[in-house]
Amino acid sequence: MRFLTSLIVILTTLLVLFSNLALSEDSPKIHLRLWHQLMYSHRTVQADLIKEFEKQNPDIVVESSYWETEELRSKFQASALGGIGPELIYGPSDQVGPFYTMNLLRPLNDLIDEESLKDFDPISVIRKDKSIFLMGDTTGNFLCLVYNKKLLAQAPSSTDEMMKQGQEWKKGYYLVWPMQEPFFFVPWVAGFGTPFVDQNASPLLNSSSMKSAMTFIRDLRRSSFVPKEADYETANALFKDGKVAIILNGDWSWGDYKKAGLDIGVAPFPKISATGLWPSPLVSTLGYSVNKNIEEAKLPATKKLLQFLLSKESQLSFAKEVGILPSRISARQDPIVKEDPLLKAAAEIMKLGQPMPIEPELRAIWDSLRTHYQAVLADQESPEKASESAQLDALEQIHVMNNVEEVSWQSYVIKVLGLLVGLALTWLGWQWLKLIKISFGEIGKFPYLLLTPAMLAVFVVVIFPFCFNFYISFSNLSLRTFQNYQLTGWQNYIQILENPTFYFVFGKTIIWTFTNVFFHVFLGVFLALLINQSLPAKPFFRVLLIIPWAVPQYITALTWRGMFNSQFGLINKVVHDLLHGPAIEWFSSPLKAFSACFLTNVWLGFPFMMMVTLGGLQSIPKELFEAAKVDGASTWQTFRRITWPLLQPVLRPAVVLGCIWTFNNLNVVWLVSNGGEPADQTHILVSYVYKSAFNLYRYSSSAALSMIIFCVLLAWTIFYLRLQEKVSQESTSDSVEGSHK
Amino acid sequence: MKKFFSLLVLLIFSIYSTFPIWHIFNVSLRSDNSFQNDSLHFWPDSLSWKNYEIVFTKTLFPTWLFNSVMISVMVTILGLILSITAAYALSRFSVQGKKGILTFLLATQMFPATMLLLPFYILLSQFHLLNNFWGLLIIYSSSALPFCVWQLKSYFDTLPFEIEDAARVDGCNRWQVLWKIVLPISKPAIAITALFQLTTAWSEYAMASVVLQDPQMQTLPLGLKSFQSSLATEWGLYAAAAVIVSLPATLAFILLSRYLISGLTLGSVKG
Repeated sequence: MRFLTSLIVILTTLLVLFSNLALSEDSPKIHLRLWHQLMYSHRTVQADLIKEFEKQNPDIVVESSYWETEELRSKFQASALGGIGPELIYGPSDQVGPFYTMNLLRPLNDLIDEESLKDFDPISVIRKDKSIFLMGDTTGNFLCLVYNKKLLAQAPSSTDEMMKQGQEWKKGYYLVWPMQEPFFFVPWVAGFGTPFVDQNASPLLNSSSMKSAMTFIRDLRRSSFVPKEADYETANALFKDGKVAIILNGDWSWGDYKKAGLDIGVAPFPKISATGLWPSPLVSTLGYSVNKNIEEAKLPATKKLLQFLLSKESQLSFAKEVGILPSRISARQDPIVKEDPLLKAAAEIMKLGQPMPIEPELRAIWDSLRTHYQAVLADQESPEKASESAQLDALEQIHVMNNVEEVSWQSYVIKVLGLLVGLALTWLGWQWLKLIKISFGEIGKFPYLLLTPAMLAVFVVVIFPFCFNFYISFSNLSLRTFQNYQLTGWQNYIQILENPTFYFVFGKTIIWTFTNVFFHVFLGVFLALLINQSLPAKPFFRVLLIIPWAVPQYITALTWRGMFNSQFGLINKVVHDLLHGPAIEWFSSPLKAFSACFLTNVWLGFPFMMMVTLGGLQSIPKELFEAAKVDGASTWQTFRRITWPLLQPVLRPAVVLGCIWTFNNLNVVWLVSNGGEPADQTHILVSYVYKSAFNLYRYSSSAALSMIIFCVLLAWTIFYLRLQEKVSQESTSDSVEGSHK
Repeated sequence: MKKFFSLLVLLIFSIYSTFPIWHIFNVSLRSDNSFQNDSLHFWPDSLSWKNYEIVFTKTLFPTWLFNSVMISVMVTILGLILSITAAYALSRFSVQGKKGILTFLLATQMFPATMLLLPFYILLSQFHLLNNFWGLLIIYSSSALPFCVWQLKSYFDTLPFEIEDAARVDGCNRWQVLWKIVLPISKPAIAITALFQLTTAWSEYAMASVVLQDPQMQTLPLGLKSFQSSLATEWGLYAAAAVIVSLPATLAFILLSRYLISGLTLGSVKG
């Protein structure tokens, strides 16, 4: 024990030293933080550039950190709400819309030279109300047709030619693309006449060209030369393996293909033969924006950094290393760009493109299009019905997104009630403290002394976030009111409770929870009983069986998603090779996708129950089993009469915890079904919360839903614990006495 | 016959439980950066440790590893102190409102964790605890507390009072009873609690991404995620890092597995 004490002391000192080290760099240097979403290979180029910049400007330190695109967005929003955040943020142009609406960005006009502005491709300068909010260093991010030159000499120039070539194709698959993503679908729409949004970012989803495009893509997907099911990873793997001639992918993928040793050619999407029009990919820019909260003193340094990163030289080093198109016209004249066949092709394809709209409403359009587009692919909706409903949904979502609730009389009621509840809680707390003081006389201060640190820690960590959520659940915090939200009333609760989707998802969540926990307990108890016999290699099996518990969930959830893939996944290989069944397309129907999540979650959860049961089995006196044996009880009778009732006290809290964890398990549902695929039909309540908070900016509504989840779980837990206590008290005494007779 | 059947079932489930891990290991040994592949067989085609080499030499992985080890050990120690004291108090004394406290602890697990991130961000930035290990330390140790307190309390409940009474008679004070009598005989349960705290801190992602922003301060899960970007994931590096992240947790489970069973007696709720 003395060893432990000294260990604690040493480690504490180390940690103090360690955390001070990071904090106490009180040099006069100016620190600039840059958050970006550059993919791995681009990061090294950026790192070299930053090193160069720091050499030129020894008084400036640039701390650059990577976040995944979605996370970058939500983290930047959160940090701005906290009044802080990085000085600079680098990302795609479409994040400017929401950031601008939430008032998180500072105009760049005074940080950029008027002169140099002329050198930039207009598409790379993102303006709002005449102010510049993003300066792009590259343009592109568009979709095109990438083909493997070893398999195909030339890309098809029209859809008819593509269909013909495809039907005659003998060497594996002809064409693949990530089928579930609407982003990969919308270029076609424009080829049938009208694009899917107009210039003010209003949805045009109910157009005849949308219907034709949906019919086209549904038929294309049914063709024999296209794999039945492909997400991004599958499509990519097929192409890299040389198993497919053409992939529809973005310019960002070219570098990776070249690195993998493929001889690729690029071309625009083939012309639509029916209309004679070219499909039009969305073209956007990636670039830098500046945080509204930036300190005045850091502006000169920021200006320097921006100038450096947007310079012709920096852009050229990106073009040279990773092959992306610079945004400066002068850089495009450089031999590095001019003599690169892919970059040359990129410039050509971009001419067919349409600029990516940056308005926040686009989120709502993507979201509703995704749902109905996936429904068409799954044959659940006709293209006609899907485009109609997609348009209606999009308009509805845009309305909800932009709607700002007014302060109503309800807010006063809430304030008064809040005050009363606060007073009541204080009074209860006070009474409790008085009781504690009385009990000092009986049991002393010692137990309370022991209890205080833990309670304090939990309280500090839990109470503020909880109260904050409680507060905003009655407010109108959403896209338009991000920095000036107000207490408005209980409209969020009413809206949720009036929405039939809520009950549907709620019901599904309950089924999800109970089936999962049932199988966790069933498998856990079953395996524990098996392992508890005297068997060879017992510890070995025990270790293997707890592995799912030991490995972090987000790793295994992704792996399981890969294993369910209809093309490469192990599960279908087993079905196909051993059972000679047809390949199952796990993510094309809601029920199958939900079962995939379910299989994953059972896998994750049974080891815990198994260990709990094994622990419980140790505490059952051996004499009981011997007595049962003497009395000639069967295995089933022994289990039913002795093991099961005596496991109850152990299993009860485990079941409660298991239910809470399963009910709120976001990881599995989100990662395995890729955010609700197909068509948003695999959601459980938490993933629904997550989606509406982070995808649709409905913070207050998500907070209200979270409060409802909390109340449901609390009520259920209290009810369950009460019920079980009663039942088990009766049955335990019953059965144990029974077996003694 | 019955034994053979049992072994067979166990074998099937062992394959079920280890296969995904095997799959990741397999991907980490490939050199073509793809997660799914037709040529992915049960045995890797070629043994290439290149991904591991890159992870260790070309990324900040060693720093992340150091940070993670540091935080996990600190969280485990702090978490143990907090949960042992609380569980002992709840097990041995008729504390006022005991049932309420136990339910309160459970209730902290019920609020969807994703909605806690925004308020945490605001709170931590007000107290200047962003980019600082202390903030994370407090959050981690208390987020595993509910399970640990419940679990330890039920273990303490199974220990006989008599030993402690005897020690008291012999002149030990209450701290000494806890330190010298109760703790040494509770080793299995403490091992479990430690394991639980350790794995929570080791593999947690969401909170860490809120608190730690400087790349130099990040932990393994954050580093692991940095190989992942939408539509352009470095699967080889990701898998290699995932294997390295999973190894210590798995090893800890294996080493402590002899305690796992006798220590895990999540028991009665009787107040």
